[in-house]
Amino acid sequence: MAGPDRVVAVRGRPAVIRYVVRRLLLAVPTLAGIVVLVFCLLHLAPGSPVSALGAESGRRVSGRAAIEMRRLYGLDRPLPERFGKWISRVVRLDLGESFVDRRPVGERIREALPYTLTLNGLALFLTLAIAIPLGVEAGGRPESVFDRISGAALFALYSTPSFWAALLLQTLFSVKLRWLPLYGVSSDPEAAGMPGLLDRLAHLALPVVCLTYGSLAFYARLVRAGVAEARSADYVLAARARGLSRREALWKHAFRNALLPLITLLGLVLPGLLSGSVIIERIFAWPGLGRLYFDSILSRDYPVVLALSLIGAVATLAVTLAADIAYAVADPRVRDGTGP
Amino acid sequence: MSGSAGRFFRLLPGSGRVALGIVVGLWIVAAFSPVASRSASDIRLENRLLPPSTAHLFGTDDLGRDLFARVVVATPISLAIGLTAAAVSLLVGFAVGGLSGYLGGAVDLLLSRLVEVVLCFPVLFLLLALAAFLPPSPAAIILAIGLTTWPGDARYARAEILKAKSLDYTRAAKVAGASTSRILLRHLLPNVLAPLLVSAAFGVAWAILAEAALSFLGVGLPAPATSWGGILSAAPAYIEQAWWMALFPGLALFLTVSAYNLLAEGLRRASTERGGYR
Repeated sequence: MAGPDRVVAVRGRPAVIRYVVRRLLLAVPTLAGIVVLVFCLLHLAPGSPVSALGAESGRRVSGRAAIEMRRLYGLDRPLPERFGKWISRVVRLDLGESFVDRRPVGERIREALPYTLTLNGLALFLTLAIAIPLGVEAGGRPESVFDRISGAALFALYSTPSFWAALLLQTLFSVKLRWLPLYGVSSDPEAAGMPGLLDRLAHLALPVVCLTYGSLAFYARLVRAGVAEARSADYVLAARARGLSRREALWKHAFRNALLPLITLLGLVLPGLLSGSVIIERIFAWPGLGRLYFDSILSRDYPVVLALSLIGAVATLAVTLAADIAYAVADPRVRDGTGP
Repeated sequence: MSGSAGRFFRLLPGSGRVALGIVVGLWIVAAFSPVASRSASDIRLENRLLPPSTAHLFGTDDLGRDLFARVVVATPISLAIGLTAAAVSLLVGFAVGGLSGYLGGAVDLLLSRLVEVVLCFPVLFLLLALAAFLPPSPAAIILAIGLTTWPGDARYARAEILKAKSLDYTRAAKVAGASTSRILLRHLLPNVLAPLLVSAAFGVAWAILAEAALSFLGVGLPAPATSWGGILSAAPAYIEQAWWMALFPGLALFLTVSAYNLLAEGLRRASTERGGYR
């Protein structure tokens, strides 16, 4: 048995490496594009031709901010020079300092990051923990009662604006029933041990639910579609013919084959969650990145806005890239160079 | 084209027909909405925060205005912004995706990178930056939504064009010496009309949601104009006293968004003709 395995290994490795290298090379122009696009956003800021238009139509920008922008980004300099400066700052990871409190942007982001990671991490975990079994069961029996009911429920969730859901849940659980706090991180930041943890979890409950259900509806429909397509494939029928139970055939064969494309689509969930964070963190006064971004937009704190846009996009690119590479390593067709 | 359009709608599943009915109903409400404009802007502080009753079906808001009238008056604004923003997104998306898929090669590689770049940004990040930094106007909101959502349409259009490109009639047209623009407009466009329609319906749902989110966050339409999101933005401050301020405008939004989504789903089923959605 050692023979064929070795052949695959020898034949497989260059194909995987070729794929990974190609994928990484393709990411370079994308990364460059992200930097350029953020640079363009900067041109909507004060001191640029666009903002002059803005001043006319009544959107005023404080003189100090405008002067600051000119000094920081050299907006009176010619375009290529400005772009060069911007690139060199980005490469040195120099994110500048906040206009609001003059502290380094990196410091403000580090403060907010744990809150967003907690919220989005829990939401992502719940999304996968619910979407996968739901999608596999529904996809395993298309058009069954379970499929129809879960399909309709997911469809309704998919069409529900998160801010509306948040307001309704607050009304029900915080105002009427008084089970959960309206907003905030904790009622008593000093509380430690079990009571402190429970208090924090109670504060997390509603924001996590509001952030989860949208991506849950999105992802469960993808899982369902993948499994529904795979279930009639020959290898699933063969597994059934070999005497595997319906459940085993579904999870071990149909789902595992549907899983691969789902891994790459997971990369698209991240920007969705970050978008959701902006609204949810605002409603629930949650001091994470989404709230920092929104507050920075309102206070025209451009260095923070640009830094967060850049970080959000680069993080998404990194996750997508990692997912694509994981896909290549996991899929024998890509690994051996025998498939698409 | 009208014959095939009729056939298309006969193929619509029941849920899609219901959704179409709701959409038509919403546009009728929108057409007659000026009737309610007087009571929608009638500020009576003695009537503030009244719960729903026969006099005020949806209750009243913090300034004593009738919420039902306000929701009705907001209908054409939310619908029109959704429709135009989706049109901008479709136009840009299908132009980029179509060219990318049809021309292939270096153009495809370049345009695909562009699509990937925009897709990397959390939509709301870009949307907020554009909406807040551009001078406030309905046009700015429409542009902001259209310019952030087109990559999805572009990917869809590219895939459809790639499919249609390999078909015999396209090759025949090419052999017969038709120009690129002629092939694109006369041969490929009619064949991507169904996917275009599906994309458009999903796009309208998304654009209405996006506008509502912006207005809810306070960076949407400037003051006198009101959309459902704008009405909802007053709700959090009164969440302990007036649940109706949150419930009803959101219900209108939910109804509209699900109707457009359901219609899109139905159109997709009808266009694949196989039944059973994918």
